[in-house]
Amino acid sequence: MSVALQREAIDVAAEYAQLIGDSPGAAVATFTGYVRDHSDQHAVTELELEHYPEMALKVLEDLGRSAGERFGLSSWRIAHRYGRLAVGETIVWVGAVANHRGEAISACELIMDTLKTDAPFWKREQGSAGERWVASRDKDAQRRARWQSEETP
Amino acid sequence: MASGSVSITIKLFSALREALGESEFQLNLADVSEASSQVDVAAIKKLLSQRGADWKEALNQPNLVHALNHKVVFVDAVVSEGDELAFFPPMTGG
Repeated sequence: MSVALQREAIDVAAEYAQLIGDSPGAAVATFTGYVRDHSDQHAVTELELEHYPEMALKVLEDLGRSAGERFGLSSWRIAHRYGRLAVGETIVWVGAVANHRGEAISACELIMDTLKTDAPFWKREQGSAGERWVASRDKDAQRRARWQSEETP
Repeated sequence: MASGSVSITIKLFSALREALGESEFQLNLADVSEASSQVDVAAIKKLLSQRGADWKEALNQPNLVHALNHKVVFVDAVVSEGDELAFFPPMTGG
């Protein structure tokens, strides 16, 4: 039930072990996001992630807590990187433990869809098009909006 | 800071920080209340917009996000002594 904001790489195996502890419960879902080697139109060689530390921590803790309540999670974890990242490195890792697969999977999806639009991180890409700030996408806002009703999409 | 003055902290992030060349500074609330009757986010944007064309343009982008004490707010949110107000473009993490 915690959040990590870190410059160093995410140790996915260690995160998973920590998440399930002595007993995995019934259902564990995780999501791992990596730096892609391309954006919509250009090759990408490196990513710089700027963040607003105090607000990022607050937003992600609130998000984990609300996903935990909504889906009855027995455990959850959100780890997010900042700083310079190479292609292929992990950016984000989310884990959720629940009684049933639906809750665990939905919790990961809710956390990721909300994190994209609500957590104060900004990507700056370096690649064939030079350096540029990544623009927010309408698709992300649409995915975020799906979770605003009481029903699980 | 002069004794008796009440200030807030302004923070800028991402493309906004880069365009304006500042990441954090103090703003005296008396300067805001002198210019506007209500000390809210809109009044602070208006005051900071007087710093130059680049400030005016950056702070009046239609998709600008304002966060007061780490929570996203609308421009009518009232700002008080010691608050932290941040301006930034839409977020792109994950």
